[in-house]
Amino acid sequence: MRTVTAITIAAIFLLSPELSPAADTARVVVRENAIREQCRFFAPVKVKIRYNDLLTILSKSGDWYKVRFKGVSGCVHKSAIEEKSFKLGGGFASQGQTPSRDEVSLAGKGFNPQVEASYKGSHPELDFRTVEAIEHFQVSSEALSEFLKDGGLSEP
Amino acid sequence: MTRNLLCACLAALLFLPGCKIQDLTPEQIGMISRSLTTTIKTARPISDEEEYYVGRAVAARILSTNHLVNNKKLTDYVNLVGQSVAIHSEKPFTYGGYHFAVLDDSQINAFACPGGIIFITRGMVNAVKDEDELAAVLAHEVGHINHRDGINAISQSRWTEALTVIGADAAKTYGSQDAAKLAGLFEGSIDDVFKTLVVNGYGRSQEYDADRASLAYLAATGYEPRALKDFLERIVKQSKGSEGGIMKTHPATSDRIENVIANMPEQKADPALVQMRSRRFAAAVGR
Repeated sequence: MRTVTAITIAAIFLLSPELSPAADTARVVVRENAIREQCRFFAPVKVKIRYNDLLTILSKSGDWYKVRFKGVSGCVHKSAIEEKSFKLGGGFASQGQTPSRDEVSLAGKGFNPQVEASYKGSHPELDFRTVEAIEHFQVSSEALSEFLKDGGLSEP
Repeated sequence: MTRNLLCACLAALLFLPGCKIQDLTPEQIGMISRSLTTTIKTARPISDEEEYYVGRAVAARILSTNHLVNNKKLTDYVNLVGQSVAIHSEKPFTYGGYHFAVLDDSQINAFACPGGIIFITRGMVNAVKDEDELAAVLAHEVGHINHRDGINAISQSRWTEALTVIGADAAKTYGSQDAAKLAGLFEGSIDDVFKTLVVNGYGRSQEYDADRASLAYLAATGYEPRALKDFLERIVKQSKGSEGGIMKTHPATSDRIENVIANMPEQKADPALVQMRSRRFAAAVGR
């Protein structure tokens, strides 16, 4: 029943020109990423983008989108963004602006830091400190590019 | 039920003759947008961000009984090999990124926590023969993450309940009752994923799919895809009669090997490059 309702409502919105998904916008769905000069990994970074930033899509080329954010144009990989923003008058943040508090609130619903904190509190034996150390460990783009080259491997 | 009613009202509102978006008040637009966002979220079981929080908790639970190998050179190397295959997957970027770590455990095993944290045991590092086999194992785990196999281990009843709480009124901060309910569901979800990853293992079709993904990522990266077959064949021979470690969670069975052979890409790596990578593998793992 829920699925049927969801499909019905989605169809209504898709059929209504006023409420059609803005095909030219996308939201960043990863914590941090970058807009690059060319549409390839390891291309120089033009600007950093963060979760929930709203980008204007200029074109698509394979797995990459050409986008604009805060006046800067460049490329971002499709897996870092999601084309699911909607043009609804002033209700949603416009391109390049900070998302509204409601949007941020909605984006973080479900399993989020608030829920994790509660879980942590009741399970002090769990080792979140090491998880953070693992996440903190980063391989730089330069090191990865060199590793691929030295091993006779391909850059994507 | 409340949502269904709201959806019906919305539908009626939009079909009313002469009803235009310009006629709606900002409050009405806000209500529609919130409902729509909730509906979309309901249709999509979990966001990348939520998956990340589940994965972190599963990793924290694994680490509560396992220590990491304290060897920066090895950790660097495993991360470089893992990232090399991950960027050739369908999803090179996840919410929190891919991170690889070596557990100080002599059993041969590897675990992919939802969202991107991948553990490989010291026993597994010792069991693989060279870099291409290590890449095959890590690519298999990256496949599980791309297919969201960990998240799919969460029982449907938990989703239904969680979505009821989340969907009740998505625009408000949780009340203490809802937060407590979600915390309980979160805990149950962690249990589901942990049991599948560490105790029961994935289903046969999920293993087949992860093997196929591994072959594709290996070929795309330039590794030797046959490394996966070679590794599985050796493990099957070595593990005859054994039921622990990888044989429990990733059973290396003859039908799995057959599936790998049937899906083997035509591409072959240059043996000289395989040898060269094998030397840097030996240097990194201290052989």
